Amino acid sequence: MRIIVDRDRCEGHGVCETAAPDLFQIDDEGDLVFHLDGHDIPEAQWDAATNSVLTCPVAALKLEN
Amino acid sequence: MTVTTVTPTSDVDLYSDESVLAPYDNYRMLRDIGSAVWLSRYQVWAMARYAEVYAALHDYETFSSGSGVGLSEELNQVMAGGTIGSDPPDHDRLRRVIGRQLTPKALRQHQDHVQQRAAALVEELVERGSFDAVPEFAQRFPVSMIPDLLGWPENETGNLLAWASAGFNALGPMNERTMAGFPVLKNLWEFLDELATSRNLRPDSWGANLVAAVDSGEVEAGKLSVLLGDFLVPSLDTTVSALASALWLFGNNPEQWRKVRADPSLIPAAFNEVVRLETPARGFCRLVARDHELSDGVTMTAGSRLFLLYASANRDERVFTDPDAFDVTRPNVASHLGFGHGIHGCVGQGLARMEAHALIRELVARVEHIEVGEPTWRRHNTIRGLAALPTTLHT
Repeated sequence: MRIIVDRDRCEGHGVCETAAPDLFQIDDEGDLVFHLDGHDIPEAQWDAATNSVLTCPVAALKLEN
Repeated sequence: MTVTTVTPTSDVDLYSDESVLAPYDNYRMLRDIGSAVWLSRYQVWAMARYAEVYAALHDYETFSSGSGVGLSEELNQVMAGGTIGSDPPDHDRLRRVIGRQLTPKALRQHQDHVQQRAAALVEELVERGSFDAVPEFAQRFPVSMIPDLLGWPENETGNLLAWASAGFNALGPMNERTMAGFPVLKNLWEFLDELATSRNLRPDSWGANLVAAVDSGEVEAGKLSVLLGDFLVPSLDTTVSALASALWLFGNNPEQWRKVRADPSLIPAAFNEVVRLETPARGFCRLVARDHELSDGVTMTAGSRLFLLYASANRDERVFTDPDAFDVTRPNVASHLGFGHGIHGCVGQGLARMEAHALIRELVARVEHIEVGEPTWRRHNTIRGLAALPTTLHT
């Protein structure tokens, strides 16, 4: 499972950070930091990852299985 | 082979006074009878369950905004081509021009100012003790701030609430509320055209940034008045509704207020819960762009219109436990659709949150108990909100 971040759509609302704090952070500048860009999500994080994709308010995240 | 077409149908009038004042039983009824329900009175489909509304919001190719998102063709013809009345790729271009000023990152520079304004207002209201929370709290805060951020001409702020209200009423059917709003809207559109020509907007304001986007060729000049309207109209009535509902819900649920006071880190979740439970904009429409069959066999044909009931989805018992209860510790509250969701998700939600969090933070610091009297609800096609709320703050 991978997550693709659409940087054009992302507005930095930070909902993904709440859903999956180990995967996403809004840094001090207000920008989204995603640690696993282009990498597989560890199985232990699959639920959180799925939840972050579903709750992104502006559809900036996509799951790729 | 016989094909059975399932068409759950209802003749409920979601726009009658009775239904507007107490909408939730009708929403439950619609959720109970199908994944989509044909509203025979208005000749549109309605989606009232969470899963279907969510899926539709995330499938803009099937459920198009490009021909407008209102119920009536009269309004849709006018609104098509604006930010909420468009599909990708046009939509994405317009959204970017507005959205980059409203990201939580971009809003940070306004945070201190907003917090100071919130402190001043709450301090004044605490001193006064008793007041009507709609004009004195919920309307006053955004109206004192948004025109300033937009760089709006100072002598032109008197009509803002009437304009915003008429704009949202027009999303409904061609009933009396819509008709009464059309002259008001016409006045707004004339004003926006004049503003787009005169460009009488304070330098470095959000409005001035829109002008710059036109001048750099990012969007065509003809879109400037639409973009100014897209910025202004949705920023007031919705926020006003949520701010007043917050006081009403906290007043009626003192144990929830105590929880937020004991742990102010609950403020963002509490505001989400307000927006979930008393969703300010009940919903928007889409055009079904291609035939679509839902999981229970309901089939919507291309060319029909579909009303997505966010306010019902947010009380769907399939998703939210005890959905009519106000619970600031609800675990999945962030899933609500009160700001819409997906590519058309409310572009100003960061601003709305910043305003609401600032006010609730000040109330939490000063107010032990919020006492509310008998509420009066608005009779409005789209906005669920209070018209009056007698309130007393106890410190």
